[in-house]
Amino acid sequence: MRFSKKTMAAMLAAAMIVSAVSACGSSSGSTGTTAAATTTAAAAGSSDSGAAMSDSDRIISAAQAGKVGNWGLGNEYEIFALLTKYGQENKFLSQAFDMDGFDDDSITLASAMTYNELGLVKNSYEGGYGYGDTVGIIDMNNEGVAMLEDNLFTTKAFAEANPNTVKAFVSASMKGWKYACENPEEAAQIVFEAGSSVSSDHQAYMASEVKKLCETDTNGNKVTDYGKMDENAMQQTLDLAKQYIKLDDSTAAEKLKSLTLDDIRSTAYWTDASAGKFDAPEKKDVSIQLKWLPQAQFMGYFVAKAKGYYDEVGLNVTIVSGGGDIGETTAVNNGTVDFGVTWVSNLISANAGGMDLLEIAQVYQRSGLVLVYKK
Amino acid sequence: MAVKSISKRRSSVQSVVLPLIFGAALITAWQTGLLHILLNTDEYVLPYPTRIITIISENTDKIMVNVWASVQVAVLGLLLGSLLGYLIAIFAATFPKFGSGGLTIVSAFNAIHWTKDVSSEAEVRSTFAKIIVVTVVSMASMSVNAYRGLTELPVFSDDLMKTYAAGRLTEFTKLRLPNSVPYIFTALRVSVPGSVISALVSEYFAEYVIGVGRQIRENILIAQYSTAWAYIVTACIVGIVMYAILMVIEALVMKKRK
Repeated sequence: MRFSKKTMAAMLAAAMIVSAVSACGSSSGSTGTTAAATTTAAAAGSSDSGAAMSDSDRIISAAQAGKVGNWGLGNEYEIFALLTKYGQENKFLSQAFDMDGFDDDSITLASAMTYNELGLVKNSYEGGYGYGDTVGIIDMNNEGVAMLEDNLFTTKAFAEANPNTVKAFVSASMKGWKYACENPEEAAQIVFEAGSSVSSDHQAYMASEVKKLCETDTNGNKVTDYGKMDENAMQQTLDLAKQYIKLDDSTAAEKLKSLTLDDIRSTAYWTDASAGKFDAPEKKDVSIQLKWLPQAQFMGYFVAKAKGYYDEVGLNVTIVSGGGDIGETTAVNNGTVDFGVTWVSNLISANAGGMDLLEIAQVYQRSGLVLVYKK
Repeated sequence: MAVKSISKRRSSVQSVVLPLIFGAALITAWQTGLLHILLNTDEYVLPYPTRIITIISENTDKIMVNVWASVQVAVLGLLLGSLLGYLIAIFAATFPKFGSGGLTIVSAFNAIHWTKDVSSEAEVRSTFAKIIVVTVVSMASMSVNAYRGLTELPVFSDDLMKTYAAGRLTEFTKLRLPNSVPYIFTALRVSVPGSVISALVSEYFAEYVIGVGRQIRENILIAQYSTAWAYIVTACIVGIVMYAILMVIEALVMKKRK
């Protein structure tokens, strides 16, 4: 008799706990533990003085409330560098690939790419949140923690075996980038027609912002050579990468420390490509793996293909879209594709881990990452 | 008689020795690179066992933090899901009356500080979300199996109960509940590995970055396959240990019943 009561009581308890758990989910922010209560109070207290807040106050208070968001997965190093700059612990909230966390205030400082998430937050077209000018940004370039992002890379082995293919590909691609930046609206339309993952309005916004990243360096100066590798910005990227990429594998960690720019990039292909110094390509059918779904972030390649620039140099190019968990570095390294677009920091950690990748052009001249906040 | 015991011994030797030989052969092939040739892969995507073990031994502290996070989710989800599953089974077996000692147990549950070592609101939220995923997964197998245990009764026992004009409560405690115990273990054999797998997968999408599963994903994405493998091996060990614990508990409980 006693036994049966206990058993059934346990079941009753289980039912009660389940209902408590589900109640917790619907009213986020009132989880009831002491730790959670204090952080909520701290966040509320700091937002009272919102109007007079400086960027450094913003960063510090958001970091201490644990409300700085980033996607992680190799996108977090600039955020770590920024947090370190302001003496904060290197921690962030895992942000989904939408801005709902920013919208519902679970994230106060949310990561955003100028050409993508920032547009969704500001604009009111389809999929946008329509915040307009009520949001402000903290720019990684201005904070001095910029790391270079979208590049063009292949493997060292492929580059050595097919130098003319590489030069021809760089030449035609950069011609595509030049045209795209000069005609961003047309470029956006070309990408949209090539199988866009987003609306044409957002595509047009993206093209106009990507143009800025291709034509401005980390100090805000104008750049006219598309795909050029800025020595200082590359070095800063490598230095920050060495500091903030944490690898558990001691072999890889040691290799990371010893990497120099010459281990990750070669300017020779871009230089010859710009001067038009290359012969018929050794390999004619080549493919390029994007870092993400088809969108204006990669407009140069879509334009080069649509305008026939690849045909002009004797190449037949297949553009492979990304977006899965198997990264572009792996796909290029194992020969599934010949070229890839990745962030410089991702290429650095891949080479530290044992891959033999080589950057051959640097398309984005400045960091496109910002932290966005509600004013 | 003698022949029988020898053959019995031989079969038990076979069941232990053969898998061991197979495992040793596999690891040897892996370490010597034969496996890489067979699978047409390289030592980058499939690192050697020695390298994986080195990484595990160099990062035990960090790995244990992640293991604890995953195990916490798996175990709490498993318990919650199994209890809920059992409850559903009782409803299905149409047993309407509940005991009254509920409050004591509820307060006992309250006394457990589930989240005493979590540092932020997001971590609490994230942990609950993951537990719910595991709960749902564990619930299914328990409710189906427990229902069978509560309803598929030995005919003679059922008749005996009726002969003595036993009440439904007596019937439940003396017959249905004991009868369901082996079925509970059948359910747990499925849901223990299931709870580990669903805990690891739920970490992939969680708000708070922690856990063995999440480390596998993070490391693959930054092209650190050796470290990812270290966490894959860790995940296997967690699953095996939890299953072994279940086997021990099952052996103890079933022995007592005899």
